[in-house]
Amino acid sequence: MHQKNQIPDPPPATADGGGGDGNGAELDNVVKMVSENPVMVIGTRGCCMCHVVQKLLQGLGVNPPVYEVDEVDEAAVAAELSRKVVGGGGDDGGRVQFPAVFVGGKLFGGLERLMATHISGELVPILKDAGALWL
Amino acid sequence: MNSPTPQFVSSRRMSVYDPIHQISMWGEGFKSNGNLSASVPLIDEPDMKLDSQSEDASHGILGEPNKYDQEANKPTDKIQRRLAQNREAARKSRLRKKAYVQQLESSRLKLMQLEQELERARQQGMYIGGGLDSNHLGFAGSVNSGITTFETEYGHWVNEQNRQITELRSALNAHIGDMELRILVDGMMSHYAEIFRMKSAAAKADVFYVMSGMWKTTAERFFLWIGGFRPSELLKVLGPLIEPLTEQQRLDIYTLGQSCQQAEDALSQGMDKLRQLLADSVAAGQFMEGTYIPQMTSAMENLEALVSFVNQADHLRQGTLQQMSRILTIRQAARCLLALGEYFQRLRALSSLWSNRPREPA
Repeated sequence: MHQKNQIPDPPPATADGGGGDGNGAELDNVVKMVSENPVMVIGTRGCCMCHVVQKLLQGLGVNPPVYEVDEVDEAAVAAELSRKVVGGGGDDGGRVQFPAVFVGGKLFGGLERLMATHISGELVPILKDAGALWL
Repeated sequence: MNSPTPQFVSSRRMSVYDPIHQISMWGEGFKSNGNLSASVPLIDEPDMKLDSQSEDASHGILGEPNKYDQEANKPTDKIQRRLAQNREAARKSRLRKKAYVQQLESSRLKLMQLEQELERARQQGMYIGGGLDSNHLGFAGSVNSGITTFETEYGHWVNEQNRQITELRSALNAHIGDMELRILVDGMMSHYAEIFRMKSAAAKADVFYVMSGMWKTTAERFFLWIGGFRPSELLKVLGPLIEPLTEQQRLDIYTLGQSCQQAEDALSQGMDKLRQLLADSVAAGQFMEGTYIPQMTSAMENLEALVSFVNQADHLRQGTLQQMSRILTIRQAARCLLALGEYFQRLRALSSLWSNRPREPA
């Protein structure tokens, strides 16, 4: 089911969000991952919607790293991302909601936006522009 | 006599009382040939026994006939006795008949009341089940106002949908201009937007109701995927009906179909994961403990996710309709929407036909 990895090789498909206190180092790590990857997915651990996002992207030939956040850390991570990575036309307003897809280091949106842009045919060009997809 | 009410309530299909049963209740010893209008009673053994007990009380004057009297008055006496017995039996029969008729009357009233309640409930939107579609009485056990609202509104939605379909059909046959056609197409698209809004609200009220397609007819439910139609399937059905298409359009529709399929697959896989999580939640811990509150708590959380699935599936449906309207010219879009509307009308008709089909007696 996993698609061919793109170059450069991304970290393993699922990165662990870690323990319960959401310390600064982990948050920095998240932000770093977002900026370093053409596509990145951040979601709550065990969230089925996050699974849908991942499967949809994989079905397109993108194998984005998926960062799973524990429920207790959700608010902290969301706030940090809103602060440092805000913008990029995400329809979710200022507040990051999970699962969240980041394209080209910027917040792209959630599952709804992902599917809507895929249906309208806009998604694949955007992914290609970000270097997540090769023809 | 006992009240017949419990018998009505327990009758499985809320059908009418069984007349044969009633007759046997009424007349002990009265032959159940259904001959209720007979005012001349049939004298048979049990009646004889009963009457002979009352005979002395009501006809004491006869007394014990002595031997001589018996000889002389034998014919009269016998006739007298027979007449008296007849009168008594007739009286009793009339009383019994009166009681039976009263019972019938009250049953009739009860039936009318039940029918009125049913009608009222139907109007308020409780899904009692049209025709022989029988599995919804249980659902109505605890009335969910969000769902009853939905059902009422859905009834109106279907009526409006049928009206719009008829209007669109006439418009296309009359070859009206593109401007007017656009108004009709936009109207239909808004109407679809309306049902998705309604479903979203209903999903919050009871997601299982929406997931199971309870408001749909049986044939529609056969095609159910996460609480509604599967966009890629629909595209396959509608595609041939909107020819002629340009090459670009054909390609665009094909691409749209592919995208739908991919999105559907992702959602389906998400549903599989949810089922797995739910099963794990419910099964977690020792079965022998006899308590399962923690499992229920996490299972409840899992179920909340279902609402998201319904919403996302509906967004996909709506997105597909919108993309189709972008790909097609206004006239093609009109034909497409007409075909779509008629398709569902036929499915509903099929459901009706199916539930009313003649069946072999069990």
